[in-house]
Amino acid sequence: MMCENCGKNPATTHIHTVINGVVTDKNLCGYCAAAQGLINPAKTSLTDMLISMFGDSLAKTKLSNTTRCSICGATFSDFAETGKAGCANCYKTFYDELLPYLKRVHGSTKHTGSRPERAPLIVRSENKIGQLRKELKELILTENFEEAARVRDEIKELEGKENE
Amino acid sequence: MSRWYLSPAENNDIVISSRIRIARNLTGMPFPVRMSAQDRQSLNERVKNAVATINDPAISSLKFIELAKVPKLEIAAMVERHVISADFAAKGENSAILLNEDETVCVMIGEEDHIRIQVVLGGLNLESAYNIAYKIERLLDSALHFAFDERLGYLTACPTNLGTGLRAGVMLHLPILEAENSVANLSESIRKIGFTVRGIYGEGSSSKASMYQISNQITLGIDEKTAIDNLSVITKQIIEQEKQRREAFNKIKLEDIAWRAYGNLKFARVLSSEEMFREVSKIKLGIGMGIIECEETLPMKILIETQPNMLMCRFGNMAPDERDIKRAEMVRAMLK
Repeated sequence: MMCENCGKNPATTHIHTVINGVVTDKNLCGYCAAAQGLINPAKTSLTDMLISMFGDSLAKTKLSNTTRCSICGATFSDFAETGKAGCANCYKTFYDELLPYLKRVHGSTKHTGSRPERAPLIVRSENKIGQLRKELKELILTENFEEAARVRDEIKELEGKENE
Repeated sequence: MSRWYLSPAENNDIVISSRIRIARNLTGMPFPVRMSAQDRQSLNERVKNAVATINDPAISSLKFIELAKVPKLEIAAMVERHVISADFAAKGENSAILLNEDETVCVMIGEEDHIRIQVVLGGLNLESAYNIAYKIERLLDSALHFAFDERLGYLTACPTNLGTGLRAGVMLHLPILEAENSVANLSESIRKIGFTVRGIYGEGSSSKASMYQISNQITLGIDEKTAIDNLSVITKQIIEQEKQRREAFNKIKLEDIAWRAYGNLKFARVLSSEEMFREVSKIKLGIGMGIIECEETLPMKILIETQPNMLMCRFGNMAPDERDIKRAEMVRAMLK
């Protein structure tokens, strides 16, 4: 179906209005729909849709989360407002906040495709980091701060190695 | 090999091209959107140095080109030939590419991601295109160590590319499905199964010459082979639909449409790009249906090579009016 207004582009916006019982249908292309103020073109871009998908996770973390990515300095708000990560390390820093959003976008949160041929090394250090993080949480809960500091440094060292 | 739009391929009356794009990033460095000019320089250097250490024809056949040293017209013409993206061209200074002789392989450095490997081949050739891109990816990874996470896969600037970082796409010529208003329905069904339909120049562009790009949306939780297989299956179905509609279409009407377009292009003295797109689409249909006999790659050759910047690269700067005259002249010569 072509746009009713200009007849040049395919109709992509279908507007169904009922005013005082009178039904009107309009089939317009994006340009004409925007020109008539029926849609806001800025809101239909992919980036904006992505940003809006951050929705509740942004609201929940916005006030409290001031964590910054140690490589690029981005906060989760930066990530959510632009819909883009600042660097690869952002995904480690904001992994938990991102999960619900990734689930919505991809329907999955687990990579199943190809992997680097050097992957085994990374697996090992990542598992190790995960384990250390758990340890760290427990140590903080039991207020064993001296040991916690040691574990924290170990995590930092491992993360540093990965980013080399 | 020759440029993608000049090489004859199976099914290319309907499938114009197959495109594979793999997005990759380096660790310990902000993504391009947060990069300073200096960061961009050092990214280019890192890639250039890495490439120098890789001793394989798949890499050594690529030429490192700094866009700052390429004339602006030529950069715009590269967008028209689908060699680089419009977004990347707009970045201009401090951007660089690795390009092969026939322009079927282009690695964009510092587009939305640090590295974007793109392979474009004519016709339905997704698997070959992917194999070329994947080989380059493996080789570059051996020197650059791309950012990878066990759970999330390859890490990309936009979370929509996470996982495989793979975008596989086909450009289809669907004049009859379009004329019968079936494309909107088709887009909707395709969207539901995780694919997207866009215009000829990608995101946000409108369809021209009845050409549509179909590509995968989902990159996390699906492996590359499955994504490509799914796209091939869908593409084959659409080819079948378009073919059936073509066969069912009133034969004499179709001949009339094709030959009138041929006449228009053959005798026009002033030809706007809009009109060129419209008429080329019709003669392409005519050639596909065996109505017009000529080289099967001719319509795409006209469509790509008579675009504004391609014309000006060849004949120098021109005002739009002069271009329309030059375009008509060039098309007449091609149809002789």
